Amino acid sequence: MQQVIGVAGMKISQSRDDILVTYALGSCLGIAIYDPVNCVGGLLHAMLPLSEIDPRKAEQNPYMFVDTGVPKLFHECYEAGAVRNRLVIKVAGGGAFYSDNDLFAIGKRNYIVLRKLFWKNGFMIAADDVGGSISRTMSLEIGTGRTLLRSAGREWEL
Amino acid sequence: MAINVLVVDDSAVMRAMIIKALHLCGLPLGEIHQAANGKDGLKVLDKNWIDLSLVDINMPVMGGVEMIDKVRENPDMADLAIIVVSTESSETRIEMLEKKKAGFVHKPFSPEVLRKLIIEKTGVTDEQVKGDAYQSNGFDF
Repeated sequence: MQQVIGVAGMKISQSRDDILVTYALGSCLGIAIYDPVNCVGGLLHAMLPLSEIDPRKAEQNPYMFVDTGVPKLFHECYEAGAVRNRLVIKVAGGGAFYSDNDLFAIGKRNYIVLRKLFWKNGFMIAADDVGGSISRTMSLEIGTGRTLLRSAGREWEL
Repeated sequence: MAINVLVVDDSAVMRAMIIKALHLCGLPLGEIHQAANGKDGLKVLDKNWIDLSLVDINMPVMGGVEMIDKVRENPDMADLAIIVVSTESSETRIEMLEKKKAGFVHKPFSPEVLRKLIIEKTGVTDEQVKGDAYQSNGFDF
Protein backbone atom coordinates (compact mmCIF):
# COMPACT_ATOMS: atom_id res chain seq x y z
CA MET A 1 0.00 0.00 0.00
CA GLN A 2 1.22 3.46 -0.85
CA GLN A 3 1.83 5.71 2.16
CA VAL A 4 2.20 9.36 1.29
CA ILE A 5 4.41 11.60 3.40
CA GLY A 6 3.53 15.28 3.21
CA VAL A 7 5.85 18.26 3.55
CA ALA A 8 7.35 18.27 7.08
CA GLY A 9 6.10 14.71 7.60
CA MET A 10 7.57 11.30 8.35
CA LYS A 11 6.40 7.70 8.22
CA ILE A 12 7.87 4.39 9.34
CA SER A 13 6.78 1.01 8.06
CA GLN A 14 7.48 -2.67 8.67
CA SER A 15 4.93 -3.88 6.19
CA ARG A 16 6.58 -5.45 3.15
CA ASP A 17 3.75 -4.33 0.87
CA ASP A 18 4.17 -0.67 1.73
CA ILE A 19 5.74 1.95 -0.47
CA LEU A 20 6.55 5.23 1.28
CA VAL A 21 6.34 8.18 -1.09
CA THR A 22 6.99 11.89 -0.77
CA TYR A 23 6.35 14.42 -3.53
CA ALA A 24 7.83 17.71 -4.65
CA LEU A 25 11.21 17.71 -2.95
CA GLY A 26 12.56 21.08 -4.01
CA SER A 27 14.94 22.64 -1.51
CA CYS A 28 13.47 20.21 1.07
CA LEU A 29 15.33 17.00 1.83
CA GLY A 30 13.96 13.48 1.55
CA ILE A 31 15.82 11.11 3.86
CA ALA A 32 15.13 7.39 3.53
CA ILE A 33 16.59 4.90 6.00
CA TYR A 34 16.20 1.15 5.73
CA ASP A 35 17.21 -1.98 7.63
CA PRO A 36 17.42 -4.71 4.97
CA VAL A 37 17.38 -7.58 7.49
CA ASN A 38 14.27 -6.65 9.44
CA CYS A 39 12.68 -4.82 6.48
CA VAL A 40 12.00 -1.69 8.49
CA GLY A 41 12.19 1.67 6.79
CA GLY A 42 11.33 5.30 7.25
CA LEU A 43 11.06 8.36 5.06
CA LEU A 44 11.30 11.97 6.23
CA HIS A 45 10.45 15.12 4.26
CA ALA A 46 12.28 17.95 6.08
CA MET A 47 11.80 21.58 5.05
CA LEU A 48 14.37 23.70 6.87
CA PRO A 49 17.82 23.15 8.36
CA LEU A 50 17.72 24.33 11.96
CA SER A 51 14.95 24.38 14.55
CA GLU A 52 16.49 27.34 16.40
CA ILE A 53 14.59 29.74 14.13
CA ASP A 54 11.29 28.59 15.66
CA PRO A 55 11.63 26.20 18.62
CA ARG A 56 7.85 26.24 19.25
CA LYS A 57 7.12 25.00 15.77
CA ALA A 58 9.84 22.39 16.17
CA GLU A 59 8.15 21.15 19.32
CA GLN A 60 4.78 20.92 17.55
CA ASN A 61 6.29 19.26 14.47
CA PRO A 62 9.94 18.15 14.73
CA TYR A 63 9.83 16.81 11.16
CA MET A 64 9.82 20.33 9.78
CA PHE A 65 13.53 20.74 10.56
CA VAL A 66 16.52 18.61 9.64
CA ASP A 67 18.15 18.87 13.09
CA THR A 68 15.04 17.68 14.95
CA GLY A 69 13.43 15.46 12.30
CA VAL A 70 16.41 13.25 11.52
CA PRO A 71 17.07 12.06 15.12
CA LYS A 72 13.35 11.33 15.48
CA LEU A 73 13.31 9.37 12.20
CA PHE A 74 16.15 7.19 13.47
CA HIS A 75 14.72 6.70 16.97
CA GLU A 76 11.32 5.69 15.62
CA CYS A 77 12.95 3.25 13.21
CA TYR A 78 14.88 1.70 16.14
CA GLU A 79 11.61 1.35 18.06
CA ALA A 80 10.11 -0.43 15.04
CA GLY A 81 12.99 -2.94 15.07
CA ALA A 82 15.67 -1.41 12.87
CA VAL A 83 19.28 -2.00 13.92
CA ARG A 84 21.65 0.97 13.85
CA ASN A 85 24.65 -0.55 12.06
CA ARG A 86 22.50 -2.09 9.33
CA LEU A 87 20.77 1.10 8.25
CA VAL A 88 21.12 2.10 4.61
CA ILE A 89 20.71 5.86 4.21
CA LYS A 90 19.66 7.61 1.00
CA VAL A 91 19.10 11.31 0.50
CA ALA A 92 17.42 13.39 -2.22
CA GLY A 93 16.35 17.00 -2.78
CA GLY A 94 18.20 20.04 -1.47
CA GLY A 95 17.78 21.88 -4.75
CA ALA A 96 18.25 25.57 -5.53
CA PHE A 97 15.51 27.23 -7.53
CA TYR A 98 15.96 30.97 -7.72
CA SER A 99 19.51 31.61 -8.79
CA ASP A 100 23.02 30.57 -7.96
CA ASN A 101 23.12 33.49 -5.55
CA ASP A 102 20.00 32.33 -3.74
CA LEU A 103 20.12 34.49 -0.62
CA PHE A 104 18.89 31.84 1.77
CA ALA A 105 20.33 28.77 0.00
CA ILE A 106 17.90 26.59 1.94
CA GLY A 107 18.58 23.46 -0.08
CA LYS A 108 22.32 23.70 0.37
CA ARG A 109 22.01 24.49 4.08
CA ASN A 110 19.61 21.58 4.58
CA TYR A 111 22.21 19.24 3.13
CA ILE A 112 25.12 20.75 5.10
CA VAL A 113 23.23 20.40 8.39
CA LEU A 114 22.35 16.81 7.49
CA ARG A 115 25.98 15.96 6.68
CA LYS A 116 27.12 17.46 9.98
CA LEU A 117 24.53 15.42 11.88
CA PHE A 118 25.64 12.24 10.15
CA TRP A 119 29.34 12.99 10.71
CA LYS A 120 28.74 13.63 14.40
CA ASN A 121 26.68 10.47 14.78
CA GLY A 122 28.87 8.22 12.69
CA PHE A 123 26.69 7.55 9.66
CA MET A 124 27.57 7.44 6.00
CA ILE A 125 25.22 8.10 3.12
CA ALA A 126 24.89 5.11 0.78
CA ALA A 127 23.56 7.18 -2.11
CA ASP A 128 22.33 10.70 -2.72
CA ASP A 129 20.91 12.85 -5.47
CA VAL A 130 20.93 16.45 -4.30
CA GLY A 131 21.15 19.97 -5.67
CA GLY A 132 20.24 21.26 -9.10
CA SER A 133 16.91 22.82 -9.93
CA ILE A 134 14.64 19.82 -10.30
CA SER A 135 11.70 18.82 -8.15
CA ARG A 136 11.99 15.19 -7.07
CA THR A 137 9.52 12.55 -5.95
CA MET A 138 11.16 9.96 -3.69
CA SER A 139 9.82 6.53 -2.80
CA LEU A 140 11.05 3.69 -0.58
CA GLU A 141 9.81 0.12 -1.07
CA ILE A 142 9.70 -1.57 2.33
CA GLY A 143 9.79 -5.11 0.90
CA THR A 144 12.99 -4.57 -1.07
CA GLY A 145 14.59 -1.33 0.15
CA ARG A 146 14.57 0.00 -3.40
CA THR A 147 14.61 3.79 -3.42
CA LEU A 148 13.29 5.43 -6.57
CA LEU A 149 13.38 9.02 -7.71
CA ARG A 150 11.06 10.61 -10.27
CA SER A 151 11.31 14.00 -11.91
CA ALA A 152 9.84 15.42 -15.11
CA GLY A 153 8.65 12.04 -16.40
CA ARG A 154 11.97 10.32 -15.69
CA GLU A 155 12.45 7.61 -13.06
CA TRP A 156 15.73 6.25 -11.69
CA GLU A 157 16.97 4.17 -8.79
CA LEU A 158 19.03 5.78 -6.08
CA MET B 1 41.93 -9.64 8.21
CA ALA B 2 42.49 -6.35 10.07
CA ILE B 3 44.11 -3.47 8.22
CA ASN B 4 46.94 -1.59 9.91
CA VAL B 5 46.90 2.08 8.95
CA LEU B 6 49.38 4.96 9.08
CA VAL B 7 48.05 8.53 8.89
CA VAL B 8 50.69 11.15 8.02
CA ASP B 9 49.64 14.79 8.33
CA ASP B 10 51.17 17.75 10.15
CA SER B 11 47.74 18.79 11.45
CA ALA B 12 46.61 16.78 14.48
CA VAL B 13 43.01 17.86 13.80
CA MET B 14 43.18 16.53 10.24
CA ARG B 15 44.69 13.25 11.47
CA ALA B 16 41.81 12.92 13.94
CA MET B 17 39.28 13.60 11.18
CA ILE B 18 40.86 11.03 8.86
CA ILE B 19 40.88 8.45 11.65
CA LYS B 20 37.22 9.14 12.42
CA ALA B 21 36.38 8.77 8.71
CA LEU B 22 38.28 5.44 8.69
CA HIS B 23 36.12 4.20 11.56
CA LEU B 24 32.96 5.34 9.74
CA CYS B 25 34.02 3.35 6.67
CA GLY B 26 33.37 0.14 8.61
CA LEU B 27 36.79 -1.24 7.66
CA PRO B 28 38.23 -4.06 9.73
CA LEU B 29 40.86 -1.83 11.34
CA GLY B 30 43.86 -3.11 13.27
CA GLU B 31 46.55 -0.75 14.56
CA ILE B 32 46.30 2.92 13.70
CA HIS B 33 49.60 4.84 13.69
CA GLN B 34 50.14 8.56 13.25
CA ALA B 35 53.04 10.72 12.09
CA ALA B 36 53.38 14.48 11.64
CA ASN B 37 55.69 14.40 8.60
CA GLY B 38 57.15 12.08 5.98
CA LYS B 39 60.34 11.37 7.91
CA ASP B 40 58.45 10.22 11.01
CA GLY B 41 56.09 8.29 8.73
CA LEU B 42 59.01 6.34 7.27
CA LYS B 43 60.21 5.49 10.78
CA VAL B 44 56.77 4.08 11.62
CA LEU B 45 56.79 2.07 8.38
CA ASP B 46 60.21 0.72 9.22
CA LYS B 47 59.11 -0.61 12.61
CA ASN B 48 55.56 -1.78 11.92
CA TRP B 49 53.60 -3.77 9.39
CA ILE B 50 51.32 -1.24 7.68
CA ASP B 51 48.74 -2.11 5.01
CA LEU B 52 47.50 1.36 4.12
CA SER B 53 48.92 4.85 4.51
CA LEU B 54 47.05 8.14 4.13
CA VAL B 55 49.52 10.92 3.41
CA ASP B 56 49.38 14.71 3.17
CA ILE B 57 51.55 16.51 0.58
CA ASN B 58 52.70 19.72 2.22
CA MET B 59 54.39 18.96 5.52
CA PRO B 60 57.49 20.28 7.28
CA VAL B 61 60.73 18.24 7.45
CA MET B 62 59.66 15.83 4.69
CA GLY B 63 56.65 16.23 2.39
CA GLY B 64 54.35 13.49 1.13
CA VAL B 65 55.84 13.15 -2.37
CA GLU B 66 59.36 12.56 -1.03
CA MET B 67 58.00 10.06 1.47
CA ILE B 68 56.14 8.16 -1.26
CA ASP B 69 59.32 8.08 -3.41
CA LYS B 70 61.30 6.60 -0.52
CA VAL B 71 58.57 4.01 0.13
CA ARG B 72 58.51 2.95 -3.52
CA GLU B 73 62.34 2.66 -3.57
CA ASN B 74 62.36 0.31 -0.59
CA PRO B 75 61.63 -3.31 -1.61
CA ASP B 76 60.22 -4.08 1.88
CA MET B 77 57.44 -1.52 1.58
CA ALA B 78 57.22 -0.75 -2.15
CA ASP B 79 53.77 -2.33 -2.47
CA LEU B 80 52.18 -0.29 0.33
CA ALA B 81 48.71 1.04 -0.54
CA ILE B 82 48.94 4.84 -0.37
CA ILE B 83 46.23 7.48 -0.57
CA VAL B 84 47.19 11.14 -0.68
CA VAL B 85 44.77 13.42 1.16
CA SER B 86 45.59 16.98 0.20
CA THR B 87 44.26 20.38 -0.80
CA GLU B 88 46.61 20.35 -3.79
CA SER B 89 44.69 19.00 -6.71
CA SER B 90 46.25 20.12 -9.99
CA GLU B 91 45.87 17.67 -12.88
CA THR B 92 49.66 17.36 -13.15
CA ARG B 93 49.98 16.57 -9.45
CA ILE B 94 47.27 13.88 -9.59
CA GLU B 95 48.84 12.31 -12.71
CA MET B 96 52.23 12.30 -11.01
CA LEU B 97 50.73 10.57 -7.95
CA GLU B 98 49.00 7.99 -10.14
CA LYS B 99 52.37 7.14 -11.68
CA LYS B 100 53.60 6.51 -8.14
CA LYS B 101 50.57 4.22 -7.62
CA ALA B 102 49.01 6.52 -5.04
CA GLY B 103 45.31 7.39 -4.91
CA PHE B 104 44.14 10.95 -4.37
CA VAL B 105 41.43 12.46 -2.18
CA HIS B 106 40.86 16.19 -2.14
CA LYS B 107 40.54 18.03 1.18
CA PRO B 108 37.90 18.65 2.40
CA PHE B 109 36.78 15.08 1.73
CA SER B 110 33.57 13.22 2.40
CA PRO B 111 33.91 9.87 4.21
CA GLU B 112 32.06 8.21 1.31
CA VAL B 113 34.76 9.24 -1.19
CA LEU B 114 37.52 8.06 1.13
CA ARG B 115 35.77 4.71 1.66
CA LYS B 116 35.44 4.11 -2.09
CA LEU B 117 39.14 4.78 -2.69
CA ILE B 118 40.27 2.65 0.27
CA ILE B 119 38.28 -0.31 -1.07
CA GLU B 120 39.86 0.26 -4.48
CA LYS B 121 43.43 0.55 -3.15
CA THR B 122 43.41 -2.20 -0.54
CA GLY B 123 41.29 -4.76 -2.38
CA VAL B 124 39.13 -5.18 0.73
CA THR B 125 35.75 -6.51 -0.32
CA ASP B 126 32.36 -5.01 0.50
CA GLU B 127 31.67 -8.00 2.76
CA GLN B 128 34.78 -7.31 4.83
CA VAL B 129 33.91 -3.62 5.01
CA LYS B 130 30.74 -4.39 6.93
CA GLY B 131 32.87 -4.79 10.04
CA ASP B 132 31.98 -3.64 13.52
CA ALA B 133 29.90 -0.51 13.69
CA TYR B 134 31.69 2.61 14.84
CA GLN B 135 30.80 3.32 18.46
CA SER B 136 31.08 6.59 20.34
CA ASN B 137 29.53 8.13 23.44
CA GLY B 138 28.66 11.33 21.61
CA PHE B 139 25.83 9.94 19.45
CA ASP B 140 22.35 11.49 19.61
CA PHE B 141 20.77 8.81 17.45
